[in-house]
Amino acid sequence: MPAVEGLLSFALLLLLFRLWRGPTSWDRLLAYNSASNRAVLILAVASIALGEPVFLDVAITYAALSFLGVVILARFLEREGGFR
Amino acid sequence: MIASALIALGLAFVFVGTIGILRFRDVYARLQASGVSDNAGLGLVLVGLVVHGGWERHDAALLLLLFLLWITNPIATHSIARSAFVRRHTGEGDDG
Repeated sequence: MPAVEGLLSFALLLLLFRLWRGPTSWDRLLAYNSASNRAVLILAVASIALGEPVFLDVAITYAALSFLGVVILARFLEREGGFR
Repeated sequence: MIASALIALGLAFVFVGTIGILRFRDVYARLQASGVSDNAGLGLVLVGLVVHGGWERHDAALLLLLFLLWITNPIATHSIARSAFVRRHTGEGDDG
């Protein structure tokens, strides 16, 4: 399934435009969240296409870590960079 | 056959979400585009991968990944929207 991986990579590249020129920090954050979803999908499709189940563990770990990053950055922006 | 149809439908949702993120007007509209269509696209592509080639051992890991993404993705979207709303971001004048 190289066509599926290619189309998902194209969607990820299009999202990098919003990540580069998001007017606000929240635009960049949501583009990062959406791009990491596409990266997880690319990993899952590559795992099935190449017959390597190890990539699925990588995809699960990447999904959990990117979720943590997005939530922590959103809380950070919500507090104006202060700690509480 | 069914797997290819599900994956193609999921890719269509992913591209609609990407176009929405690129073209919509402010943060909340972009959040609407990403948060709604990403869940449908993820679910359709991952269910298509589960259906692909019958039941195998790694399909449990695919279902676990789907469950994890369906739990975490709305939480992340809600967290971004709440962060923008608490800071009184109106969304005016940020056409990009």
